[in-house]
Amino acid sequence: MNRRTLLASGLALAVLPLAGGSAHAQDAAKIRDLYSGGVNLSDWALAQVGERVTFEGYMAPPLKANSNFFVLTALPMSVCPFCETEAEWPNNIVAVYSKRVIDVMPFNRKIEVRGRLETGSYRDPDTGFLSLVRIEDATYG
Amino acid sequence: MKSAIATSVIALIAATGVNAQDLPQAENDWFAAGQARLQEELAKSVNTDRALNVILMISDGNGVGTNYASRVFAGQEEGGFGDEYVQPHEAFPNLALVKTYNVNAQTPDSAGTGTAMMAGIKTKAGIIGVNENVVRGDCSTLPGNTVTSINEIMTEMGKETGIVSTARITHATPASAYAKTVDRNFEASVPEGCDTQKDIATQLIDAMEAGVIDVAMGGCMRNFHADDGGRREDGVNLIERAEGLGAHFAMDQASFEAAPLDGTPILGLFENSHMMYEADRADEPSLAEMTGAAIAALQAKAGDNGFFLQVEAGRVDHANHAGNLARVVRDQKAFADAVAMADEMTDDADTLIVVTADHEHALAFNGYCGRGSNILGLCMGIDGAGVAHTGEAELASDGKPFTVAGYLNGAGSVLIEQPDGSYFGTRPNLTEEEATDIDYPQQALVPKSSETHSGEDVAVYAKGPWAHLLDGTIEQNVIFHVMHHAATVE
Repeated sequence: MNRRTLLASGLALAVLPLAGGSAHAQDAAKIRDLYSGGVNLSDWALAQVGERVTFEGYMAPPLKANSNFFVLTALPMSVCPFCETEAEWPNNIVAVYSKRVIDVMPFNRKIEVRGRLETGSYRDPDTGFLSLVRIEDATYG
Repeated sequence: MKSAIATSVIALIAATGVNAQDLPQAENDWFAAGQARLQEELAKSVNTDRALNVILMISDGNGVGTNYASRVFAGQEEGGFGDEYVQPHEAFPNLALVKTYNVNAQTPDSAGTGTAMMAGIKTKAGIIGVNENVVRGDCSTLPGNTVTSINEIMTEMGKETGIVSTARITHATPASAYAKTVDRNFEASVPEGCDTQKDIATQLIDAMEAGVIDVAMGGCMRNFHADDGGRREDGVNLIERAEGLGAHFAMDQASFEAAPLDGTPILGLFENSHMMYEADRADEPSLAEMTGAAIAALQAKAGDNGFFLQVEAGRVDHANHAGNLARVVRDQKAFADAVAMADEMTDDADTLIVVTADHEHALAFNGYCGRGSNILGLCMGIDGAGVAHTGEAELASDGKPFTVAGYLNGAGSVLIEQPDGSYFGTRPNLTEEEATDIDYPQQALVPKSSETHSGEDVAVYAKGPWAHLLDGTIEQNVIFHVMHHAATVE
């Protein structure tokens, strides 16, 4: 996949670490802790694959009702990428699959999500959302 | 009688004058600095030669308040208190305040403001390169109502022109250089039945083919092709069309660095939509790098004929919309670096550089904060016994600390939607670490999904031929008239 193809595919995951800090075990990780540059996963993230990890962020308005899937964003985002043509979907987000059908939270209330960190390309069958990193079997609040 | 005598003494002093150096405060550093600035002002002269080159640099959303935050941030990054820092454009000799409203909007948008600066007329919000007779979204109202941009005028004069932006190159501000559209959102297509205009992306390539635009670099590959991820409904690959016209195409840092700066047209489309925020930037050029390359390419092609270049820091605006001041100030620092680059590469004697913003945002500042309070962080107390702040956060009436800067509206609203649809909330407690995090959205009052522009004035800074005409409080369209006068005066 060259750069043009990668950009065109709309993969919503690229984010850079800014302070270089990784999450502490006792603190909620930040989405940017997942990456070490471009779309490369950080050493910390690679070490956590398959482990249950807690991330902080915001619940974007769900793409589909009565779903166990939502997108966790680093900054509050009120728009759904597939609902508004003018929406600009950010790249500092991560897909979340919860244990149960989600209760929608206000888009600007900070939440913590705890689940199993998984990697690998996966396209959500209901929404078409393509993710390379996910928090699965998650709880949140 | 006593009062009359005192008045007489004052009058006598005023009449005879007191040498500033004889005053008791003459040895004070502030007094000396004030005297030095006075001498600089007295030594100022005006340049009334014709401008060979004109560079218009727009930091989208960088009103006086946003510019203040960015100044303090840049100064604090260098280890100072921040207030004393001088951004490159703040050292320019000429300054005016600019009224930014659109003809139908007290709070302006970038389409109306771009048209004002680039064509000399105020118009409605949301439309580009057309006058106020146009009804937004109604293609039938376009014929007879288009206006000529300064890029087109400069091209007629034999100059080369370019546009550089960190936003989509089809976004409102860069589009004001080349597009005539009844709606700023017609970036990759026009509605069915709209036969009076083309989409904005096509108009850019048309302008390159016509020789109006020689260098165009910014975001938004998707509006130029119909392959996977592309948005062109007509199936046309505009990138291939530009390459067929002889343009060098750049899409990442390597292809940007490979661009020939010998006058070959350049089309740079980095990212699928906007370019990255400066804080997140990877594998794409900085605004200063693009500015430097554009000037070099335009100078190479134009030679003694000169050039016009519009440079936009488009994402200062976007970070403000997100209520995320931490990214605002970093993108504004990148803009300031681009201003320094443009200044360094040109001669004040023959190049007019105009630095401004298209509008301000709903950003405001709290008090009373001590010197050196982090502009992104908490408002610290004033130390009556010293200069630096006390290190103790000021508390509001709710007993909680507050940040130096906040927004009047936006996603950071302290009012949160409740399950019954009502809005209620209290201010969260806040630490300095949380407030200065790169992803922190500043607290806001009015709940809105996206923070808004404001109608507040912006500043315009200028140097070079006829820069002194930018003075006082002006309407935004006057900027065009000064640039035009500078480039055409006999």
